[in-house]
Amino acid sequence: MSIQEKVKINKLPTGVPGLDEIVGGGLPEFSFNIIAGAPGSGKTTLAHQFVFANATPERPALYFTVLGESAIKMLRYQQQYTFFDPAKLPGSIRFINLSQVVLEKDLGAVLEQITKEVEKANPAVVVVDSFRTMVRKPQSDMDLQSFIQRLALFLASWQATTFLIGEYAEDELRDNPIFTVADGLFWLRQTAERNSIVRKLQIIKLRGQDSVPGLHTFRITDAGVQAFSRTFGLTARKRNPPSDRRLCFGIPELDKMLGGGVREGDSVLVAGSSGTGKSVLATQFVAEGIRHGEPGIVAVFEERPEAYAERATSLGLDLETPQKEGKLTILYLRPLDLSVDETMHSILDAVQKIGAKRLVIDSLAGFEMALSPGFRADFRESLYRMIFALTGIGVTILSTVEVDESFTEFPFSTYSISFLTDDIIRLRYVSIDGQLRKIMVVIKMRGGNHAKDIREYEITSKGVVILGKRLTNYQGLISGIPVRTDRPESTEEPLLDTGIKHNT
Amino acid sequence: MTTSSKTRDLARRLLAYEAAAAKTSELEEAVTLRAYEKLRQSLGEFVGVAGFQSLAFRALTQAKSEAPGLWAVRIAADGSLQGLGEFRLQPGEFEPQPGSGKDQASEGGAAIIARLLGLLLIFLGEALTLRLLRTAWPGEVFDDRNSTHGRNA
Repeated sequence: MSIQEKVKINKLPTGVPGLDEIVGGGLPEFSFNIIAGAPGSGKTTLAHQFVFANATPERPALYFTVLGESAIKMLRYQQQYTFFDPAKLPGSIRFINLSQVVLEKDLGAVLEQITKEVEKANPAVVVVDSFRTMVRKPQSDMDLQSFIQRLALFLASWQATTFLIGEYAEDELRDNPIFTVADGLFWLRQTAERNSIVRKLQIIKLRGQDSVPGLHTFRITDAGVQAFSRTFGLTARKRNPPSDRRLCFGIPELDKMLGGGVREGDSVLVAGSSGTGKSVLATQFVAEGIRHGEPGIVAVFEERPEAYAERATSLGLDLETPQKEGKLTILYLRPLDLSVDETMHSILDAVQKIGAKRLVIDSLAGFEMALSPGFRADFRESLYRMIFALTGIGVTILSTVEVDESFTEFPFSTYSISFLTDDIIRLRYVSIDGQLRKIMVVIKMRGGNHAKDIREYEITSKGVVILGKRLTNYQGLISGIPVRTDRPESTEEPLLDTGIKHNT
Repeated sequence: MTTSSKTRDLARRLLAYEAAAAKTSELEEAVTLRAYEKLRQSLGEFVGVAGFQSLAFRALTQAKSEAPGLWAVRIAADGSLQGLGEFRLQPGEFEPQPGSGKDQASEGGAAIIARLLGLLLIFLGEALTLRLLRTAWPGEVFDDRNSTHGRNA
């Protein structure tokens, strides 16, 4: 063996979807870990998932239960999770109750009992649940420190990966010998934000490998704990190089205005007030993609998928068939306590499942409303992470956003998120000749030229239809209250912002 | 609430296994005690002494309602069963037929075991209960073909 050869630390699967990515690929083998958090934060469930993912008849798991939740009730509840495999009991997973020893004897006797069982079973995984109740009995700091040191040393020597589970408050992090000895410290938080519960997980420390820093949201479902990395599991993936390919809307005049369409991998914002046709435009965008063999995802928050597809039918767009053929997924994300990470996870799953190239988020306001209030404060930051991650893998995102119509301003978005988008298409009402008519303008295209024209459009049974040429015979169109001028109506083709005529 | 026929059948199969495993003929209560001790050892490991004692106490209380002869039986602090050898008629009762006391002892023992199994089934479900029982008894005891139900089916 070369003296330069470093020891390789095996990474064990955590059994928790999303957590392997957060801990840097898996949990270091033989590590001594603490799972801390308040009651009900999912500590036991997380430990069970790890145990069920790693225990084998040859290298079983020993799960020591101490004072606290009764073992029989713990098994009663835990077996409801889909990861719980009764066939692993008791051959691969043994539950051992230490309550009597803890109640009647001291920490030395507890260590002796654990030692005896470990020597007998040669386990790969050892869990002590709840460790906190065990050390709550009055004892000197020295006793406790010595106990933890000896326990950690013994279990490491026996090549066991260990979890101690404890109910700790965050102010106990300081000067606690347990946290000093531990190789890994997993902190689970559960807070009430208005009427919603927000669960977050933090890897406070993990020796031997890089974990993703920060607070990661997690959820407890019938499948157990599911974690959502802040980096959406895309850290390891290379960003696609910028593409010159243009994606059309299937609205010839608009595509001309966009210099042939939006650039692949762009984030497009369609902003306008209610009824201006943002969703129609978005539907046409995704339908056109499907027509060109580009699968699409529509994430809707304000109406059900059936209603969305029906509305598309009224515009002559068939969204039913591509759904059946697996070329389109309409995601309905309405729960009111979602995190962006969970939403992102659903979208990413769908993107990967059908190989989606176009994604519509309809709308950002609905998206924000679907989030738990606690996550709304981070909406912009989360949106940035999401857009960056998705466009990085080549998905073109079209988001709709409702803006309050003003006759003194021309806002692009209520979220101050225009910096997140590559392209902005603004729709608005204008008052012309006693009618409320609609105009459209391409505000920005980061990756290329676009027309500066302000065009009138209508929503017909064929979707968005741009009327005539640019409106040259009005001034102050973007104010919403234009004034007619003496200039004749334009007959020119749209001009790109370099002044070059666009040819298609 | 009475024990289901399935639970009683399982209890009888465990007791029959214990009776057959004994080299010499044993008293009914000795068979029951051996089955009970196996349960205490295997379940006590994961539910703890106090946990098992609680379950056993509840099982005995239920069993007494269907086997009054168990009135003198009690659960000790360590979860062990005491007084089963004293299975007898309550004061004032008389034995209607010779030998029926032995039958009652057998029924009483089966009732305790069945009630204990019944509680496990309620709390843990069949799959997990049988997995745990398999640590104390061989798999064939739980084979449905050996059950009254299996044979009848």
